[in-house]
Amino acid sequence: MQQKVIIAKNLYYTYETGNKRVEALKGVDFSVDNGEIFGFIGPNGAGKTTTIKLLLGILISKNGELAIFDKSPSNSNTRQTVGYMPEIANYYRYLTPVELLIMYGNIFGIDKDLLHKRIKILLELVDLEEVANRLMRTFSKGMMQKVSFAQALINDPDLLILDEPTGGLDPVSRKRMRGVIQDLKEKGKTIFFSSHELSEVELVSDRIGILHKGQLLAVGSAKDLLGEKEEGQSLESYFLKMIEERV
Amino acid sequence: MRAVWAIAYGMVKELVRKKDFYVLVIFMFVLLGFLSYQNFFQVKGISRYVRDFGYSLLMFFSFTIAVTFTAKQLPSEIESKTIYPLLAKPLSRHMVIFGKFCGGVMISTISFTIFYAIFTGFYMTGGGKSLVLLGQGFIFGVLFLCMVSALVMFFSNFITMSANVTFIFLLYLTIRGFSDFLRGIILFSKGIVATLYGILYCLLPHLEFFDLRIRITHAWDPLPMWVVFTVVGYTVLYCCMLLSLAGYIFERKRL
Ligand SMILES: Nc1ncnc2c1ncn2[C@@H]1O[C@H](COP(=O)(O)OP(=O)(O)OP(=O)(O)O)[C@@H](O)[C@H]1O
Ligand SMILES: [Mg+2]
Repeated sequence: MQQKVIIAKNLYYTYETGNKRVEALKGVDFSVDNGEIFGFIGPNGAGKTTTIKLLLGILISKNGELAIFDKSPSNSNTRQTVGYMPEIANYYRYLTPVELLIMYGNIFGIDKDLLHKRIKILLELVDLEEVANRLMRTFSKGMMQKVSFAQALINDPDLLILDEPTGGLDPVSRKRMRGVIQDLKEKGKTIFFSSHELSEVELVSDRIGILHKGQLLAVGSAKDLLGEKEEGQSLESYFLKMIEERV
Repeated sequence: MRAVWAIAYGMVKELVRKKDFYVLVIFMFVLLGFLSYQNFFQVKGISRYVRDFGYSLLMFFSFTIAVTFTAKQLPSEIESKTIYPLLAKPLSRHMVIFGKFCGGVMISTISFTIFYAIFTGFYMTGGGKSLVLLGQGFIFGVLFLCMVSALVMFFSNFITMSANVTFIFLLYLTIRGFSDFLRGIILFSKGIVATLYGILYCLLPHLEFFDLRIRITHAWDPLPMWVVFTVVGYTVLYCCMLLSLAGYIFERKRL
């Protein structure tokens, strides 16, 4: 039997700022299996980032159930085997990528030798070896995005949570990142990622969840989702149709 | 503990690289300039007046560095969103607060040590000297910076950075100016008024405890050890309380 890495049941989340309330999530249910790539799509403001923040224990949902590796996200130990790449790649601009990775590695309590080996491999992986010791304040958006990807892998996580990982990357880097994600899957890692690049989601995901206005409209493999529809339909046209039906 | 160190170290490294830290150099030259200028005209070496003013100046500079650098930490992490990847690490929010506090203490202690070394250099040229007292002054200075950093960390949960800086400066001036007055009220009032003022007095951070200005200026005897230990205990207790509360509130903060 496959172990569930993420179990989310009836998730609700409401932002309250002053007297304004935004219901960002309204009863979201899904689960992610071990070793699966789960793509999370939805229009702007659908609640993808909010869901991710709940998975990481950055936000706490008052209703519903949420478990990561059968543990509560609010327990900081749960995150020991989780890697996270945020939507906005902003890091300490007066540190170098190496220093940043050392800092995060220390927080994870990674052994020093192992950490240095891993940093070398990761910087090669994201093609940043040449600027490894340059202050990040001189970095372009795409370079920051690569740093962001590398830091998400510093603890060799079993679950990788990526919030729009390919935003700001050029086509070559994008392809490369897709390759890395596939490799990670082959190593048995579980990947949960949100994206607006529907062709990409279709390409790499085992299953896809479509979120709209805080509700999951559909969950399934691309084949399942598109199978019911006409031949040759892309995920994009399916997605647009589904969202438009709701408007 | 390694996590706390990682946060503090990263913070210090960043601040040293930013131009922000140049303020330390400016302060250093002001202090050095003041002391050597005064010293030049004093035939017999450093006078009481110079000691008095030099000590006040160095404490004030260290205080300013502790306040401004610590106050910036949480707001800028939230503003620049660097807080999210940090909170996604296996780290409680208490640890984040504690790490930032340690960073603030480290950076202000480094500055304080430099200022204090300059001061000591001039102090040694003057009349009555006591190395023990000077050592006590150093310990009290570091404790003072711990108190200040803890206060700033605590308030950065509620108010903006500039409000925090202003508030702590006002608090510092008020406590220096009014704690004797408050003690007087408690001694001479009775009943509920005395109790209320008593509670207020206990809750206030007694930043004046750390001020050895008069003692150092007049080269009085060093403090008895029990006083030193009491002040150390007071600082540890007060900082633990403030930081726990700060962590508790930060944990409930929606980011
Ligand atoms: N800090 C906040 N305070 C108030 N409302 C918020 C906050 N963060 C998000 N929201 C609201 O919650 C809803 C969901 O936002 P969320 O960021 O989860 O969307 P998203 O699916 O990630 O969108 P995008 O694709 O644009 O990144 C939106 O309506 C947004 O306005
Ligand atoms: Mg988002």
